[in-house]
Amino acid sequence: MSAATKSLRDHVSTFALELILLAIIGFLCLFARGFATWDNFLNIMRNASTTGIIAFGMTFVIISGEIDLSVGSAIAFYGCLCAVITEQLTKRGHPMVPVILLALLVCFGIAVLTGMFTGWVRHRFSVPTFISTLAWMAALRGGAYLLTNSFPVTPFPEWFQFFGSGYVLGIPFQAIIFLVVFGITWFLSRFTTFGRSVYAIGGNAEAARLSGIDVLRKRMMIMALTSVLAVIAAIVVASQIQAGNPTVGTSWEFTVISACVIGGVSLIGGKGRIWGTFVGVMFLEIILNGMTLMNVDEYWQYVARAVLILGSVLIYQSQEMRSRD
Amino acid sequence: MEPSTPVTPIQPVKLEVRNLRKTYPGTVALDDFSAEMHGGHVYALLGKNGSGKSTLVKCISGAVIPTSGELFLNDRKLELKAPGDALAAGIAIVYQELSLVLDFTVAENILIGRYFKKGPGGSIIDWARTNQKAAEILAALRIDIPVTAKASSLSVGQRQMIEIAKAMSYNPSVLILDEPTSALAQFEVESLFRVVQRSREQGLIVIFITHKLNEIRGVADQVTVIRDSRFVGTIPIAEATPRTLVGMMFGDTQVLRRPDNLPVADEVVLEVEHLTRGQKFQDVSFSLRKGEILGIAGMLGAGRSELLRSIFGADPVDSGRIVVHGTPVTHPEIPAMKALGLAMTPENRKDEGLVQMLSIKDNLSFASLTGIAALGFINDRRQAPVVQRWIRELQIKVTSAEHPVSSLSGGNQQKVVVGNWLNTAPSIVFFDEPSRGIDVQAKQQIFQIMWDLSRRGLSVVFVSTELEELMEVCHRILVMDRGRITRETTPEQTSLDQLYAMCMEA
Repeated sequence: MSAATKSLRDHVSTFALELILLAIIGFLCLFARGFATWDNFLNIMRNASTTGIIAFGMTFVIISGEIDLSVGSAIAFYGCLCAVITEQLTKRGHPMVPVILLALLVCFGIAVLTGMFTGWVRHRFSVPTFISTLAWMAALRGGAYLLTNSFPVTPFPEWFQFFGSGYVLGIPFQAIIFLVVFGITWFLSRFTTFGRSVYAIGGNAEAARLSGIDVLRKRMMIMALTSVLAVIAAIVVASQIQAGNPTVGTSWEFTVISACVIGGVSLIGGKGRIWGTFVGVMFLEIILNGMTLMNVDEYWQYVARAVLILGSVLIYQSQEMRSRD
Repeated sequence: MEPSTPVTPIQPVKLEVRNLRKTYPGTVALDDFSAEMHGGHVYALLGKNGSGKSTLVKCISGAVIPTSGELFLNDRKLELKAPGDALAAGIAIVYQELSLVLDFTVAENILIGRYFKKGPGGSIIDWARTNQKAAEILAALRIDIPVTAKASSLSVGQRQMIEIAKAMSYNPSVLILDEPTSALAQFEVESLFRVVQRSREQGLIVIFITHKLNEIRGVADQVTVIRDSRFVGTIPIAEATPRTLVGMMFGDTQVLRRPDNLPVADEVVLEVEHLTRGQKFQDVSFSLRKGEILGIAGMLGAGRSELLRSIFGADPVDSGRIVVHGTPVTHPEIPAMKALGLAMTPENRKDEGLVQMLSIKDNLSFASLTGIAALGFINDRRQAPVVQRWIRELQIKVTSAEHPVSSLSGGNQQKVVVGNWLNTAPSIVFFDEPSRGIDVQAKQQIFQIMWDLSRRGLSVVFVSTELEELMEVCHRILVMDRGRITRETTPEQTSLDQLYAMCMEA
């Protein structure tokens, strides 16, 4: 085989996922009525944004060799916490705007602390994050029910809708958040010592430590970053439904992890790209959107997701094996 | 195979190795090796690292198929295609890495896969009989460990004995022990030796691989020496003086000399005072001067790597202190020691020195990220010149710095580890076994790097198991034995066999 065709083949395999996605988009443009419209595009962006925001944090978590199962429950907990604080304080006559700001501050504060705690017990006591975040998953879900007595709490004023339903220059605000988080995390992963350290820790934590990288600090930062992004997503969701609802976000952690895996983030650690996760998020959302437009039974989306997850990992593994030859 | 209690073989056992040869692409691991061994003797198999000891025992135990040559046990030719064949023929081996299932009991471990059965179709394990059989095997060797104890509750020495009992349960006529004492405390070594003596008394051939000259006197009655993949000779222990043995092991090895232009300044850059860490090393004191290359010699387990790691802050210290360029440190931490100018290339390049799946470029910059990046921001424009500099200066053979570091040869990987640290502009560099698993040419390049560092006024501490390397490279050599510094010498004052004797005695 000549060098030119080989390199073409390599390029095709490197961008296999992107090419498949483009092919699917082409197919949907032709055959799904209403797919190729501006409104539908905004719709896809809006739907992709909540899980997408978290997925970028999860990408760092997984690259560093960890996992965070608590993000779905975090959507419910922080939405409820924000709503309950707002309800209780406004009931006592405090003005709305400072109360909501305070509520947000509390949510972010708790998220940073729980994330740092998870990173700390991982480092100091070798508690796998699979276990500790499984515990957080239960605790945060339980906390959401306890805070709200299992009924939605609806204290938010009309302007609060802006976070989840507002537009800036004709673009949904949450989609803007999604793109901004994408940009920041992409920059972090590519152009900062933090990003490089995350790969080193996931690839070989002992080598990273012996290189003088502060592994504990990095682990705490990674877990806290993801918790903070979960709070942002929680606010967007609470704003959309104008309530703190303890049942939202159920099993979102799996959607988020699926997006990362489809995007080529390796659960073994050390490998993955923010761009890949972006593609993974869009892939899931476009498939779902296309199936809805083509009137496919919505439960088929689970089958489609299964095919996507397994298919994409097969592609990555075969690339890996070829590169080893 | 039905387990049976070891019994004395009626015939005297004889193992004959004829013209055994094993080649790998590019190297000859074993060359025309012939020897004869007889039952009722314990043979200590001696040889330097890489002399072919492990290849020899792997050939005898069926783990490696020889390129040519023959094996005879009691004048019967053996055709060994797999470890199971050797076991069936009566050759059992206990490897250095223990293979016990820690959650199983002693009896389960000894008779694993060969339990006594009862019930319809033998579908139920008969624990009473299984435990009883295991107890008999242990009793025959006079090992006093309850058969129902979990393997995880045993000490390393006890586990080692259970491994031997397991091997003996196959009723072998040849028992091979691969460095069984390397991880044991003194009292454990003695009880192990008693078990070895019991096996010998039962008429077995026991082959005992070891590094420790002083230890073999406690157990072996014959010493077989292998050098450069060839059989040198077998002598009775009574004739085996350290001088004879070292002579047999080293032959007339040419010791090379370091270049003359490596001056050592008077300025002391590192002082270690009474440093102690539990059982690893005790009361270690030494000083290192500017431009000096200091070697630390000693056997495996002498505490050399542990000492380096503790000074560098990778492991804790219990007491003592370290003075780096006049700054005293009592609790070293890696980031702080790095800031003081220390660097360390770890012993285990693959697991500790490199992130295998990441690029050469990344692996050359992990230790110096903060130096390369301004305010935490890093980009190719800043990173590329630094990376290219070390690829050039250390002559690292790469087609692209973006390739994964795992694609490089061992020697080039080692250079990446070195470059990663030279990037931090250190003044003191620790090299822990840098020449392990790399070819002769790459070794010389690593030595050149050390000499270059010395010329530039950097100081080096060099730990190696290969004594001739220390003799070639260093200004001064410390000898460590069981956690203490026992001797200090220079390559000018001592010969290779004297240095070897220093490491062995005590």
